[in-house]
Amino acid sequence: MSKQPSGTSDLQAIRRKRDMRRKTIPALAQAGPVSIWMILFVTLPMLFIIYISFMSRGVFGDVVYQFSLESYQTLLDATYFKVILKSLKAALLTTVLCLGLGYPFAYYIARKPPEVASRLIMLIMIPFWTNSLMRLNSWLLLFQTSGPVNNFLQWTGLVDRPITFIYTDGLVVLGLITNMLPFAVLPLYSSIEKLQKSLLEASADLGATPSQTFFKVTLPLTFPGIFSAIILVFIPSLGIYTVSDILGGGKVLYIGNIIKNQFGSIRNWPLGAALSVLLLVITGLLIFIYTRFAKIEDMEVV
Amino acid sequence: MAKLSKVQRHKRTAAILGEVYAILIYAVLYIPIVVMMVFSFNDQRYNYYWNGFTTQWYGKLFHNSALIGSLWYSLIIAVLATVISVVIGTLGALGLKKYEFHGKKLVNNMLYVPIIVPEIVLAVALLIIFMNLGLSLGMGSILIGHCTFCIPYAVVTIKGRISGDGDTLEEASMDLGANRIQTFFRVTLPSIMPGVMSAAFLSFTLSVDDVVMSNMLAGAKNSTLPVLILSMNKSGITPDVNALTTIMILVIVAGMLLSNGVKALVKRRSAV
Amino acid sequence: MKRFLALTLSLALALPLAACGGSGNDSTPAGGNATDVPAEASTELNIYMWQQYISDALIADFESQNNCKINLSYMSDNADAITKLTAGGGQEYDLIMTCDAYMDSLVAGGYVQKLNLDNIPNSSNINEAYWTAKDYCVPYLMNYIYVVYNTETCPIEITCYNDLIDPALKGQISTIDGARNLFPIALVALGYDPNSTNEQEIAAAYEWLTKYNDNVVAYGAAEQNLTNGTACVALTYDGNASWAMSELGDKNTLKVADFESDPVQLGFDLYVIPTGAKHVDLAEKFLNYITDPQVMAKNLEEFPYSCPNDDAVAAASESYRNDPARDFSYKENVFFQKDVGDALTIYNDYYQKLKVGE
Repeated sequence: MSKQPSGTSDLQAIRRKRDMRRKTIPALAQAGPVSIWMILFVTLPMLFIIYISFMSRGVFGDVVYQFSLESYQTLLDATYFKVILKSLKAALLTTVLCLGLGYPFAYYIARKPPEVASRLIMLIMIPFWTNSLMRLNSWLLLFQTSGPVNNFLQWTGLVDRPITFIYTDGLVVLGLITNMLPFAVLPLYSSIEKLQKSLLEASADLGATPSQTFFKVTLPLTFPGIFSAIILVFIPSLGIYTVSDILGGGKVLYIGNIIKNQFGSIRNWPLGAALSVLLLVITGLLIFIYTRFAKIEDMEVV
Repeated sequence: MAKLSKVQRHKRTAAILGEVYAILIYAVLYIPIVVMMVFSFNDQRYNYYWNGFTTQWYGKLFHNSALIGSLWYSLIIAVLATVISVVIGTLGALGLKKYEFHGKKLVNNMLYVPIIVPEIVLAVALLIIFMNLGLSLGMGSILIGHCTFCIPYAVVTIKGRISGDGDTLEEASMDLGANRIQTFFRVTLPSIMPGVMSAAFLSFTLSVDDVVMSNMLAGAKNSTLPVLILSMNKSGITPDVNALTTIMILVIVAGMLLSNGVKALVKRRSAV
Repeated sequence: MKRFLALTLSLALALPLAACGGSGNDSTPAGGNATDVPAEASTELNIYMWQQYISDALIADFESQNNCKINLSYMSDNADAITKLTAGGGQEYDLIMTCDAYMDSLVAGGYVQKLNLDNIPNSSNINEAYWTAKDYCVPYLMNYIYVVYNTETCPIEITCYNDLIDPALKGQISTIDGARNLFPIALVALGYDPNSTNEQEIAAAYEWLTKYNDNVVAYGAAEQNLTNGTACVALTYDGNASWAMSELGDKNTLKVADFESDPVQLGFDLYVIPTGAKHVDLAEKFLNYITDPQVMAKNLEEFPYSCPNDDAVAAASESYRNDPARDFSYKENVFFQKDVGDALTIYNDYYQKLKVGE
C-alpha cells in the first residue's frame, strides 16, 4: 500500500467509521438472527455437552455433576478405536460411491434446460418425504427369502434356491447409497451448472479430447461442488445407524449406534458426550486438513 | 440425410447412455416407493410378507385419527420450520457474506456443527437445557430443534448463490433512489431466489423426515409421523401407514402435474 | 461497543421468546397443578407406553365413562421411558410404562410416586408372584422370552440354550436384541445366575455369545424372519410368536422349544406414575380400569400377550387360552430380570465388544 499524506488517512478513518455506522443496522438485521440462534441453540448446548463429558455417570446413566475423566479413559479402550475405524471406512466407501455415481447423474441433469433440471432435482428429493424407516423396510420386503426378487429368480430358473440378499454388507451399502445420493447430487449439480459452456467449447477448439477437457477443465472447476458433496455425504454417513440396524440385521455396530446407545439402552450420558466430542474433533480435523489442502473457502449446496 | 460424423455419433451414444443411466438411478431411488405402495394393499396385519390383496387399509386409515393427526402435525411443523429457517438463513447468508463483524468466524464455524455432530447429541443437550429451564415440551421445542439443523443447511445453500461481485447491484439500486427495504425485495431477493427455493425445499425435506430431534423433544400430546412410525417398528408397521404414504405420493405427483399444466397454460397464454 | 450492546439486548429478548415457543402449544390442564389439591376431577390423562399394546376401543370406553381425554404417546425403546422419567417425566406424563428390572433404582431415585392401592381395588386380581415393587407400580402385561423354531426346516431339536450355539444353526437364528436379554441366556447355558454381577462369569457369557452371534442372521424383526423363511429359529417374545403362528394359520409348523431344565426370562411391562404427575386421580382410575378382568380380557383378544392378571386370563376368550404360543410346559421355570447395579457397565462393555466384532 503506497504512503498517504496524514490528512487523507484521517479522512479515511472518518469515512470508515461512517460506513461502519451505516452498515451496523443492516448488518445486525441480517447476520443478527442467525448469530443469536446459533449461539443460543448450538454453542450453548455444545458447551454443555463438553461439560457433561467431564462429569460422572449416575445410577441411571444420567449425569452426576462431579468431575471425572472416566469417560475419556473409557474411550481409550480398543473397542472404540475399532468402531471408529470401521465407521470411517464405511463412510469413505459410501462417499466414494455416491460421488462416482452422482457426478455423471448431476452432469446429465446440468445439461438440461433449467426448468427441466429443477423438476428433475425435485424428483430426486420426493422419495425423502416418505419415511426413511419404511423405505429401508421396503428393501427387506423386496429382497427377503420369500420376496419378489427371489421368487422371480427361481421362476426364471436362474437359481434353484433363494439367495440370501438381506442382512448382507451389499444390501447395507445399497441402502446407504440410496439414502445419501441426493446429498451428493445437489451440490454437484449446482457446481456443474455454473460451468460456462463457452469454456468447454474453447477447450475443444484448442484441440483437447473430451477426456482431456473433463480432467483439466470440468473437474477442477467443479471442485467446490465436489468438496460440498464429500462433506454432506461423509459426515452424516459417519453418524447414521438406521441403515445398518435394519438392512444389516443390527449385527454390526458403528459409531452412530454406539453414541445413540449411550443415550438409549446402554445409558451412559457422559460417555455419549465424550464420544460426540471425539467425533466432532475427528471430523473437524478432517475438514480443516481438507480445506487447507484444497483451499476452499465456503461450502455450497445448491 | 448425410451419415452422422464420428463425433456426432459419439455425442449421440453419450446422450443415450446418459438417459439410460439417469433412468437407472431414478429406478433405484424409486423402487422402495413402489414396493411401499404395493404393500399398502397387503392382506396382513403387519407387513412381513405378501399375503394377498385387500383395500381394507385405506378404510382403516380414515379411522386412524392418530396417524392422520401426526401427519398434519409433521406438516405444520415442517412448514413453520421451513419459513423460519429460510428467513433467518437468507438474512444470515447475506449478512455473513457481505459484512465483517466480531465473532463472524465463530458463527461460521457454529453453522457447521449441526451438520457434523450426530443429531442425537444436539437433541439430548437441548432436552436437558429445556428441562432445566422448566419449559414444557411440545411444538415449540420440536420447532426449535428442527430449525437448529435446518438453518445451517439453508445458509450454506443460499451462500453459494450469492454473486461474488459485491454490492454493486444494491448500491446501484440505492443510488437510483430505492431505500434498503425496496432494494432487498426488488433486487437482492430475486437474484438469490433459486438458492432460497432450494433452501426451502431442503429444509422441508429435512424437517418432515426427522426422527431423532422429534422423538427427544416431543410433548405428551402429539407425535410427528416419523416418531409414530419409529415406535411401530418394534411390533411391526401396519399397512395403513403404507396407505397414507401412497396417498401422499399421489397428491404430490398430482400437484406437480397440476403446476406443470398451469405453467404450460400460462406460457401459451403469454405467447399469444 | 454498540454492536455488543445490541447483541446482548437481542439475546435477552430472545430467551423469553424461546420460553414462549416452548410452552406455546400446550393448553393448561383443567385439573390444576400438582401443588394444589384438585378440587375438580382431571379431564386429561397423558400416557407414555408401547405402540400397539392397548386396544383403541378400551381407551375410547374409558374416555366416555370418565368424561376425559387420553393422550397416548409411544416409546420406541425402554430407554426412552427411562429418559422421560429421569428428566422430569411428571411434567409431561401421568402414566409411564417401564419394566421390572428398573424399579429398584427408580424407587430409590424418587422418580416414581407411591400408589394409593385403595383407589385401585381391581389390582387384587393380579398374581402376587408377578408383582415386584408393589406400592409403586401396576403390572400390565408380561412377556416370556423363549425359543421358537420351525419343525420342518430346523435341522436339530432344541431342548436347551446350548443347542443354540450348535454349528448346524449357522445363520439360522433371528433374535431379539439387548444386553440384558442376551447375556442371561448365556449365563444360564453356562450354569450361572442369569443376573450375575461377577465379571468372570460375564466374560464367559461373552465367549458363549460370540458363538451365538455366528448363528444369528439378524437382531430384531425375529418373528418376521421366522415367517418369511429367512430364519428357522427365533428367540423372541411370546406375544410376537403368537402373532406369527396365527398368521401362518394352517401352514403353521412353528413350535415352542421344549426346554428340559433351562429357565426362560419373564419380563413385565408396568405402569408407574412419575413424581410430579398432574392427573394422579385419573391415572389411578385408569389403573383400576385396566385391571378389571372383563376389560383386560377384551384387550387380550386384540393383543394376545401373557398377562399377570389371573382373573382376566380366566375371563379371556377360548382362542386366547388355547394359544399355541403359550402352550408350553415350563411356565413355572422362569427367572426375572433383576437390577444389577454397577455391573451394568460390565454387561454393556462386553455387549459392545460383541457387536463391534473383529
